[in-house]
Amino acid sequence: MAQNRPDSPRDSRSAKIQAAQKAGPSAGASRMTIAAIVFIVAVIAVVGGVILTQKSSEKKAAAGGNSVPTGASATAGYPGNTGVTLVSGAPTLALYEDFQCPNCALFEKTFGPTIKELAGAGKVKLEYHILNFLDDSGGNQSTTVANGVFCAADAGRFQAFHDAAFVGQFPEGQNVTVDDITKFAETAGLSGDSLSTWKTCVKAGKYTKFITDTNDAAFKISGFRGTPTVILNGKTLELSTPESLAAAVQAATTK
Amino acid sequence: MTTDLAGRSATAPTEDAVTRLDWVGTLARLVLGIVLLVAGALKVGHPAASARAVQAYQLLPYDVARLIGYGLPMVEIIVGSLLVIGLLTRGAAVVASLLMAAFVIGIVSAWVRGLAIDCGCFGGGGTIAKADTSYPLEVARDAGLLLCGLYLLWRPRSALSLDRRWYGI
Repeated sequence: MAQNRPDSPRDSRSAKIQAAQKAGPSAGASRMTIAAIVFIVAVIAVVGGVILTQKSSEKKAAAGGNSVPTGASATAGYPGNTGVTLVSGAPTLALYEDFQCPNCALFEKTFGPTIKELAGAGKVKLEYHILNFLDDSGGNQSTTVANGVFCAADAGRFQAFHDAAFVGQFPEGQNVTVDDITKFAETAGLSGDSLSTWKTCVKAGKYTKFITDTNDAAFKISGFRGTPTVILNGKTLELSTPESLAAAVQAATTK
Repeated sequence: MTTDLAGRSATAPTEDAVTRLDWVGTLARLVLGIVLLVAGALKVGHPAASARAVQAYQLLPYDVARLIGYGLPMVEIIVGSLLVIGLLTRGAAVVASLLMAAFVIGIVSAWVRGLAIDCGCFGGGGTIAKADTSYPLEVARDAGLLLCGLYLLWRPRSALSLDRRWYGI
């Protein structure tokens, strides 16, 4: 450096230090040691973290039961209108909903009556895919209410509980207890023994694994956009009005 | 320069003269390091959401994407910390540059394929409405950070670093 005279004290000092560093193999070795330690610690932290996370997510899914609701599967969801005779060529209408999702409540309010009409008349084979991805940030609302609906399904009250849970939806991000959502079960007509069976079922998280599997299956669908999503015979619908849904169903019905 | 710079080095006898480029290096280190540290810290407590954000890119097999989502925040925190303290700067810059290049490729590829996703860079992520995407901004930000990484790759020397204090580099 031009401004540093060769005989300035600063310069000669640093020259000595540099010489010492070059001469001493220990300096190089200690740098290699630090690099090796940092590398090993980093690998342990990352790999260990991934393994622990994987284990804890498996444990979380296994914490509840691994029952599957009657007639349901992770990929085909819960059948919404099994008792109804379908018209010939009726398309499959798959609804993807999360009980915590405000837009799903809005969707149910707008499209619910039309969907029930179509399902009741056998014009569609209705599938409910109840997801819990909104619990990903650490909450429990989606999974708890979803257990609630499938435990109600054990008593034949899926639809009534489903509708009550969307009407009385809790704010997004709020955790809920079994007692918080008991009102949905009561609205759905459960009482006495059937209500205590329902409570035991929700507390045990009987369907948690099924719900998580349904959620995973949904997100494996290419271009899946979260909830609410409506898929008619494998094609995702962009919905504007209930009439447009009825028209799309009509068009998808094979003659 | 330099009376103040020279004065500053005089107080830290193990350091050579600090040049302007060293301060550029410090700036690059801190910008890149702090962004990585913050991005990692915001995501590390939410592994499931982080996994979902990686899966939303639809670039990797579902289960591979999940593991990357679990591991990435920790990698960001480690690399970010090394850059902030200026230890093993060049090695950290290599990893940071590779990360940023991968992020740019991922975001551009999502953009080109017409996906509508949040990059998930600072938590969140996943599919969103088309109108809510901000691909140009996300790409520009990560490209800028990539430049910081490449600069440090080319010239890892910087002021206020442990590399300088301990090893004189």
